[in-house]
Amino acid sequence: MRIKSPNKRTLAGYIFLLPAVLFYSLFFGFPVIFSFIVSTRRWNMLVPLSRARVVGFSHYEYLLNNELFMRALFNTLTYSLITVSVSLTIALIFAVLINGAKFSVLWRFIYFAPVVTPQVAIGTIWGYLYRPNNGLLNSFLKLFGIKPVYWLTDPDVALFSIMLTAIWSGIGGSMLILTAGLRNIPQDYYDAAKIDGAGPFKQFWYITVPLLKPTLLFLTATGMIGAWQVFDLPFIMGRNAPAKSVMTVSWYVYETAFQSLRMGRASAGAFLLFCVIFSVTLLVLWTFRRGGIEGYE
Amino acid sequence: MMRKLIVFLLVVALVLTAFSVFGKTKLIMAVHWSDYQVEGVKDENGNLVKKGLRQYVEEYMAFHPNVEIEIQSVPFDEYLKRILISHTSGEIADIYVLYSLWSVQLVESGILDSPPKDVVDKVKNDFVKPAVDGTTIYGNIWGVPIEVDNYALIYNKKLLKEAGFENPPKTWDELVEMAPKLTKRNEDETISQYGFAFLSGWDSAVVHPYLALLYSNNGKFLKDDFSECLLDSKEAIEALEAELELFKNGGTDPAASVWSFPAGKVAMMIMAPWYETSLKLGFKDEYEETVGVAPIPYMKKPATVGYTWFISVDNASKNKEVAWDFIRWMTLVDSNGFTRMGELMAKNIGAIPPKKSDIAYFTDELNDLYTSVFVKELEHTHQEPNVAQGQEIKTILMREIVEAWNGRKTAQEALKDAKKQIDEILAEFY
Repeated sequence: MRIKSPNKRTLAGYIFLLPAVLFYSLFFGFPVIFSFIVSTRRWNMLVPLSRARVVGFSHYEYLLNNELFMRALFNTLTYSLITVSVSLTIALIFAVLINGAKFSVLWRFIYFAPVVTPQVAIGTIWGYLYRPNNGLLNSFLKLFGIKPVYWLTDPDVALFSIMLTAIWSGIGGSMLILTAGLRNIPQDYYDAAKIDGAGPFKQFWYITVPLLKPTLLFLTATGMIGAWQVFDLPFIMGRNAPAKSVMTVSWYVYETAFQSLRMGRASAGAFLLFCVIFSVTLLVLWTFRRGGIEGYE
Repeated sequence: MMRKLIVFLLVVALVLTAFSVFGKTKLIMAVHWSDYQVEGVKDENGNLVKKGLRQYVEEYMAFHPNVEIEIQSVPFDEYLKRILISHTSGEIADIYVLYSLWSVQLVESGILDSPPKDVVDKVKNDFVKPAVDGTTIYGNIWGVPIEVDNYALIYNKKLLKEAGFENPPKTWDELVEMAPKLTKRNEDETISQYGFAFLSGWDSAVVHPYLALLYSNNGKFLKDDFSECLLDSKEAIEALEAELELFKNGGTDPAASVWSFPAGKVAMMIMAPWYETSLKLGFKDEYEETVGVAPIPYMKKPATVGYTWFISVDNASKNKEVAWDFIRWMTLVDSNGFTRMGELMAKNIGAIPPKKSDIAYFTDELNDLYTSVFVKELEHTHQEPNVAQGQEIKTILMREIVEAWNGRKTAQEALKDAKKQIDEILAEFY
């Protein structure tokens, strides 16, 4: 049946959109609105929300003046900037190196393995590698006469140790997507560049990087969203370090909600986190659009 | 005619079956215990060696065929969340086993049912003081204590002997002096054997030993009416400085872990009674010749800190009377001189049962080299205060103590910052 009338066509469009709208309303819109409502209440989940005292924006005021929350925000910012940028850079280098190389499937499998390993297992195993007196990393440093590092208990080092683990575990996923992106770049461009005398670095900089921008945009945006929500690795690996040096926003929210039973304050933290992630995502999209990427508007 | 009769009989049978199922009173009991504590300990042939909660529940159901009890076991880390979520969803348990620190908010939110008068009277008269204190919130008893835990010094006899010490330290000064002599270092200066170990990632392992020292220094954590935190007192600062001495003289460092004790890498630590099984598994045949237990070395007077688990009924339960009847049967009624819960605690779970008659009865289990010291130390035990936002307050204190351990704050600065945050919380509630 053909739909000729514009009104009917519009209606059909809305009907096709309806499942997606319902899905997002249920699993995105409702939690965000509910979380905002809870963030204006003093609620411990033990009494009905209707009985919870309305406290306006006092939870937001508290959080923005709370040293631990602000440290958590700073730690998460540091974590997201460093893990996403370093992980993506290494993934891009590896993707280019193994693209078209012998046994590329094997390499991809090896680098992808950490992605399918649960973060809890990764955190535990790296915990052993980081042990101060018999861990593999300190034994290695000892070969060069370097003093042992207290990787997970030294407040100045602990967050960076966790970031190192996160970078290691995040390379494989990005690399796989970048490899797919590399395969979509026509070989003709490289052949033409070679004829014009471009070396491997120029080919990489003027052909590979610009044509991979949509892929890089996707990975940066999703990487940032994931990094800002990070919970598991710091929670597993950083518990023996002073909290201010390793705590992330999600960890703070979890602890405030389920240990301190302050759902309102935790929801305010979660809502602030949502605002940060939303802003960061917009910033990433804007930056890439300025660079000529329109595909992910 | 015959057909109609068969149909009629079938309907009657169905109705009777339905009544026999639906006529039962169903109770849900939430616990945080491990599999063997619920199902019992069995030997390799599958024979029951030690009874678990299920065997007692089945015994009760056999006596009370109209009652069905479902046990829901949730890991400790998830247990409080289970209570929260069940209340939000309306799928509550009728009976809870509760950590005393959580109970203030549960009472304030009207979650717990007031126990019947006979239960309250029995708790007041028949249980040890720290357990009664742990079950008391705002002056009222809110359940029956089933487990009382406190802390003692655990030491490795062999390591002490190797270093020339025949006896464990009695005072904190002695411990501070002994710890560096029991510490061994690798060539790169990392510690391979700790003279003394704390554990920085776990609130109880940080806060409870500190509170024990604070009480032993004649100090107080909070005012009796919870209106103010007293961590800025001279006694409180001295107690933390006494801990810091160990970090300064090389007897420990922030990377230490009490979990390394069973590997023979720690000479002394402060631990609770429930760790006995892990030590037995760790040292196997060498357990008795290796593990020693003594009261926590004191500053001015002997003192330790304790906490309680108690059993209570949800105020929203539709079967409160039956639930309290089960609790009475399990925790208060003596069967052959002991309670069933006392037997479960002493024989299976390895904890100290808080009922005086159970402590007197289970001499074999409670007078061994490990638990006997904890039982004796009950007289010096100060119950962790049942204060609103107790868990949050405990976490704040842990964080500030760890800051001091890491040399990022002095004892005075750490405790001043802890007091400031804790006072803000207390001002909300008292």
